[in-house]
Amino acid sequence: MNQEDWLDRELREAAPYIDDEGFTARVLQQLPPPRRRHDLLRAVILLGMAFLASVLAYVVSGGGRFVSVTFDRLAALPALWVFALALTSGLVIAAAGATAAVSRSRASLT
Amino acid sequence: MELTDADLVARVLVDDDQHAFGELVRRHQSSLRGLLRQLTRTDVALADDLAQQAFLRAYKNIRSFRGEARFSTWLYRIAYNCFRENARRRKELVGIDEEQLQTQHDPQVADPGLRHDLMRALNLLPLNERSAILLCCQNGLSHDEAARVLDIPLGTVKTNVLRGREKLKRMLADWGPN
Repeated sequence: MNQEDWLDRELREAAPYIDDEGFTARVLQQLPPPRRRHDLLRAVILLGMAFLASVLAYVVSGGGRFVSVTFDRLAALPALWVFALALTSGLVIAAAGATAAVSRSRASLT
Repeated sequence: MELTDADLVARVLVDDDQHAFGELVRRHQSSLRGLLRQLTRTDVALADDLAQQAFLRAYKNIRSFRGEARFSTWLYRIAYNCFRENARRRKELVGIDEEQLQTQHDPQVADPGLRHDLMRALNLLPLNERSAILLCCQNGLSHDEAARVLDIPLGTVKTNVLRGREKLKRMLADWGPN
């Protein structure tokens, strides 16, 4: 065994693992608060775009006549059909919400 | 599957995920604190303060990490800069010269073991040689990576490692293979 190998081995072994002993927690405590996400800005933009799209749809559809026509048609449907339609819509929205919640919780666990 | 350092850095960048940064700290705290303890001549409290400072600086400047080098190399560089700034303030940047080296090594003192002698010999090396030896021989960085950490030319790193080794060999001659 040559001197270099011997020296390198001793140098490596002279650096044992140092236990954390609360070091990481102390560092994390001193971190600045997380950046404020621009959630409010995002919400405002989305609502604004939705509002603009609604106005555009209203104008393009000739004063929203299609809405009253749709309501008239819905009102003409049998009560059982309306109930089935509402139930289906609710289930679809609930399933989409649950899927999003599960995928988000999985991502935060990994 | 364990996330790589790059994945964790990406999470910090995109979501400001402090848990991800905590994982990075957990992974690298031992090597960083170890390096700083050696650089500060086993001043544990100072070394831990500097390590903490280095991690905080890394968090604040994580956007400047471009992924060209390993995350650990980037971290070592920050830690070494923290150490240098502190040493400058404490006027400890000047290495111990040969004369000092001779007077501090008292052959009459019975050392309890090789590890103790090695630590003492390392502490007697001038800072430039000590840091090059610690990075390359102890922490496994390539000469090129050490040059980035220390912000000195590659050739200087090689020279410092070579000189440091020679001095260590001389000081530890009694322990080496005959």
